[in-house]
Amino acid sequence: MKTRVVRFLTIVVAWPPAVGAQHAAPSTPRDSALHALNRLAYGPRPGEIERVAAGGVLRWIDAQLAPDKIDDETVAKRAREFDVLKYDRGDLARLYAEVQRARQQRKRMGDTAADKPDDSPIAMRGRRFAAQVQQLAVVRAALSERQLYEVMVDFWTNHFNVYFAKGADRFLTPDYIEHTIRPHAMGRFEDLLIATAKSPAMLFYLDNWQSIAPGAFPRSPLSALRREDQEVRRAPKGINENYARELLELHTLGVDGGYSQHDVIDVARIFTGWSIRRPQQGADFEFHDWAHDTGDKQVLGIEFERGHGMDEAIRLLKLLADHPATMHHVSRKLCQRFVNDDPPDGCVDDAVAAWQRSHGDIRDVLRAIFHGPDFWAAANIRAKVKTPLEFVVSAARAVDAEPDTTPRLAQVVARLGEPLYLHVAPDGYPEREDAWVNSGAVLDRMNAAVALAAGRLPGAVATLDSVAPVTANPVQLIAGIDGGILGGTMSENTKRVIAEQVSDITDPVQARALAVGLAIGGPEFQRQ
Amino acid sequence: MSISRRVFVKSGGVALFSLGMDPLFLARAALGSYKPLPPVAACCRPVLVCLFQRGAVDGLNMIVPHGDPLYYRERPRIAVPQSDVVDLDGYFGLHPRLAALKPLWDSKRLAAIHAIGSPDATRSHFDAQDYMESGTPGVKATPDGWLNRYCQHDREHQDTPFRAVAFGPELPRILAGTAPSLAIADLQAFGLRAPQAAARDRLTRAFEELYAGSATGLLSASSQEAFEAVQTLKRVDPTQYQPANGADYPRGKLGKAMLEIAQLIKADVGLQVAFADVTGWDTHVNQGATEGQLAARLAELGQTLTAFAQDLGEKLDDVVVLTMSEFGRTVRENGNSGTDHGHATAMLLLGGPVNGGRVLGAWPGLDPASRFEGRDVAVTTDFRDLFAEVLARHLGARDLSAIFPGFTPDPARFPGAIRG
Repeated sequence: MKTRVVRFLTIVVAWPPAVGAQHAAPSTPRDSALHALNRLAYGPRPGEIERVAAGGVLRWIDAQLAPDKIDDETVAKRAREFDVLKYDRGDLARLYAEVQRARQQRKRMGDTAADKPDDSPIAMRGRRFAAQVQQLAVVRAALSERQLYEVMVDFWTNHFNVYFAKGADRFLTPDYIEHTIRPHAMGRFEDLLIATAKSPAMLFYLDNWQSIAPGAFPRSPLSALRREDQEVRRAPKGINENYARELLELHTLGVDGGYSQHDVIDVARIFTGWSIRRPQQGADFEFHDWAHDTGDKQVLGIEFERGHGMDEAIRLLKLLADHPATMHHVSRKLCQRFVNDDPPDGCVDDAVAAWQRSHGDIRDVLRAIFHGPDFWAAANIRAKVKTPLEFVVSAARAVDAEPDTTPRLAQVVARLGEPLYLHVAPDGYPEREDAWVNSGAVLDRMNAAVALAAGRLPGAVATLDSVAPVTANPVQLIAGIDGGILGGTMSENTKRVIAEQVSDITDPVQARALAVGLAIGGPEFQRQ
Repeated sequence: MSISRRVFVKSGGVALFSLGMDPLFLARAALGSYKPLPPVAACCRPVLVCLFQRGAVDGLNMIVPHGDPLYYRERPRIAVPQSDVVDLDGYFGLHPRLAALKPLWDSKRLAAIHAIGSPDATRSHFDAQDYMESGTPGVKATPDGWLNRYCQHDREHQDTPFRAVAFGPELPRILAGTAPSLAIADLQAFGLRAPQAAARDRLTRAFEELYAGSATGLLSASSQEAFEAVQTLKRVDPTQYQPANGADYPRGKLGKAMLEIAQLIKADVGLQVAFADVTGWDTHVNQGATEGQLAARLAELGQTLTAFAQDLGEKLDDVVVLTMSEFGRTVRENGNSGTDHGHATAMLLLGGPVNGGRVLGAWPGLDPASRFEGRDVAVTTDFRDLFAEVLARHLGARDLSAIFPGFTPDPARFPGAIRG
């Protein structure tokens, strides 16, 4: 199997021939470029399949694995248009506190409309910022040259899920994405794991910020613990298992990773005191040694002797990051994302081996997946249905749309069932198609496709000239769309239906818009 | 499925002709796999509405064991004071924010069941929800949900796309499977959008042909269900709906979902199994007692169920609403005036067929010695016994062991939720 693929890859990039002789899918450099662009990127932009094929698919993959070396000034410039990035965590915390105070005041004044949307200027600004954060993710995914990097940012955002609408996470999430997820998305897993454990967004989301040793008391006045947002009015009084459980079940070992309820409790004890400063003081990570349980603990049979402080959680995180169950669990999810909803064992094995060799360097794990036989196997080509984000971004890329800072496209992603940063449960959006493919969502995709192609999505204007020329010849039109948007995978049925639909439309500009809308809303474009 | 669909294509052509549609329309319709409206469903079909409280509701503060001093001893900050509880039977009572449901209790159309849950000990939301929806506790590999398996094994109602509907953007695990089921985020906006009706119909047909011809796998099944549903909804016209009897649904997703369920029930489109879910029950911190976070969620739930019952009026005689939640919460409050993940919880049953006015299930008590792992309410009713009873005695399901593989449903263990 392996030799077969090595052979195939050598053909694709015209490297010196190696052993093996069997036929392998995909059959042409264009096909493999399309496959790589569908999986490592958010789909091809007009002309990109040809560019990647001409330069060599493996060379393009290698370049994507080193995102720092890819010039990305265009998207950096676009990102600067999002003024939410000019505000740090402290600024957003203050804005949030101000909105909350105003709301409380309205409630106290007996304003019965206090539960209705708050249309005060400051509340509007808060909502605009929230919408910007979501739209920024779409813009980066659509326009960045570091496509694989953006895919991985989305992957880790779900793996280390936080919920944007939970209390303080309203102002902690933007910082979490910028300074916890993004800097580590293609580094070492251990660094990412430690960064998320220390992140105020995660500490708040999974309640660890207020997990303390039973009976512990702060040296400073209790009021120091009281929060602006009134989520908690009383001082915490004991351990909270929430983060500990999800750390083991979701972030590292996996639910079958061989831990017990006892392990969960002792992990929670190890993390007692990992907390957050008050929002007015910037809401940074803060370790409270007074809150830390300094007793003996045991996790997965390993002793954590008494007398330690913050260091023992770091020791635990390193141990978890390097645990075979973690390697397997995370590798499996990566294979699910990049290869097949039902990840082949061989892919997982290759990824785990690379993880062991590289001590959890994510780039090496990814390289092993992309160079493995399963990634290129015929059974896995177009075997996945795009997620809502993948569909919307790939559609925008297909028609060369340049989304602006208005949240139009982010709203479409939400309508398709997966609003960004708003998966309430800590497991993040699932990697399996049955989570997002259903009759309602399929109709919504068709609607979004037609609207995008017809220019009815202000803020994301399609440049159809770069897809296909305006022509009265339906065969030429359809051929252009097939090549430009579907990489030549359009079915005979789709060609027939589009031809029939445009046959009585006299305005060729309208005919093209309808044809593009049908192609993007049609069945072939839903797959990757 | 395929046979009845072919029959419909034939009769549908006739119906269109009689409506005087233009020939071009007919030509296009004939090219595609046009599907007409299903026949008007008979009245009085039983309907099951499942309502999932995601996040693990605190059963002890929903159906309060106010007659047990241990309840008050274990929850000094979050117990509902006896003076606030709406007493039901001298021992249990409703949370005060569920008071709107008391008349339904008094008229024997509301029951509760306590100490119900999973035989699996997991305290993971995801596992426990998964098991409650797959109907196979402890077995992760089950590909489909138990509501879907019911639909697979009872094939009487296959002539309507609205037989099984989940109200929300995602089709939930409980309805995942090979039997057709719909996910509807917004009944009014369901379907293709276009400025004029003619353009909308044309787009609908075009996409229907695209998917009928080239879609594979789940995409194919989902799109097929979608287009059947679009046809039916055209007839129902949800934009004109007014709740009956002054029913006032709370704003928010839950109220909207239940309003739409009531609407489809009354429209007789063949709805048999409906599903909605509501989040916000994971009250680790500051859950509150008479007032507070949990109280607010319960108020929304109580008002929604009350509005639903009012809106349905006599139709409620054919309907059972069943609430469920993946597990309960710790008997003792935690350090943050909240509760952590526990084991057994309470569920509610509402509707004409319900054996109402009683708290069902064997109550294990709150004594630490009888608790699960010393901390949680023990499970005395396997949730499958309740679900199986509702399927068998309300919907008339016959093959219960196929719906709950690995489990032998025994009528002797049914908790007695449905009137005989």
